[in-house]
Amino acid sequence: MKITVIILCALLITGCNQPEQVKPIPFESTGDVKHIMQWVLDPAADHLWGSAGSIITEAGTEELAPTTEEGWLAVQHSAVVVAETANLLLMPSRTKDDEAWREIALGLVSAGLRAKSAAEAKNGEELFEAGAQLYRVCKSCHAIYVEGEQPI
Amino acid sequence: MALKYLVIISGLIIACLPAQLNAHHAFGAEFDRNRPLTLRGPVTKVEWVNPHAWIHLEITNEDGTKEIWMVEGGTPNTLLRRGINKRSIKPGVEIIVDGYQSKDRSNRANGRNITLTDGRKLFMGSSGTGAPKDGKDPREN
Repeated sequence: MKITVIILCALLITGCNQPEQVKPIPFESTGDVKHIMQWVLDPAADHLWGSAGSIITEAGTEELAPTTEEGWLAVQHSAVVVAETANLLLMPSRTKDDEAWREIALGLVSAGLRAKSAAEAKNGEELFEAGAQLYRVCKSCHAIYVEGEQPI
Repeated sequence: MALKYLVIISGLIIACLPAQLNAHHAFGAEFDRNRPLTLRGPVTKVEWVNPHAWIHLEITNEDGTKEIWMVEGGTPNTLLRRGINKRSIKPGVEIIVDGYQSKDRSNRANGRNITLTDGRKLFMGSSGTGAPKDGKDPREN
């Protein structure tokens, strides 16, 4: 009897602790993965890549890192776009149901936030490294989901 | 029903992937493996940028006309691992580049290796972009 009461209590407590079923909020996506790549991720990534590094000619070396507050703020913006793109890729209509897809998406978050921190610190070298990290994420994705020029 | 949605979503993902590839200029999207070339001339510019470094050089045609070509290498980090930094190939230095021309026949190429006038060879890490592997680069696998 005592054991039965304990079990019942445990079941009640467990039941009470169950999180409420969250009703999904309907959303309206504006495009597929191709759309996200073309209009969201690529422009932001190109901006990050074009905001760090060097152009070397006989006339001298031009550093590409921003030199104004506005320039660094724009880089922060692109960095956040890269990071948040991960969530767009994880939305039900776009995600691929495997762990690799999720890992790659989280890689975008990591690279994007690293770039954001670099921009906040106005650190061009760190932004360059964040850009390299971002490209490794791109390559990882293509290595798994693209074979040659054809998707797997 | 679940299987139907799985098929539709998978189809969507697969349909999208070539565009991702194009966006990052993988070898096959931009360069022609059947169009190998050799370029010779002085370096005019080095772009030490992600995702790929670019070397510009001025070549002189047989008729004496000059053209600027730009040659894509691997990532800066790949080049660093191969002993090339942004100061290794200075503007004005003459180089010979083996590579593959772009599909649009513009003055762009994917660089395979660079030969300096003293005979030293530098590999441009192009295998990382999907360029053909010919076994000449000891680090490619």
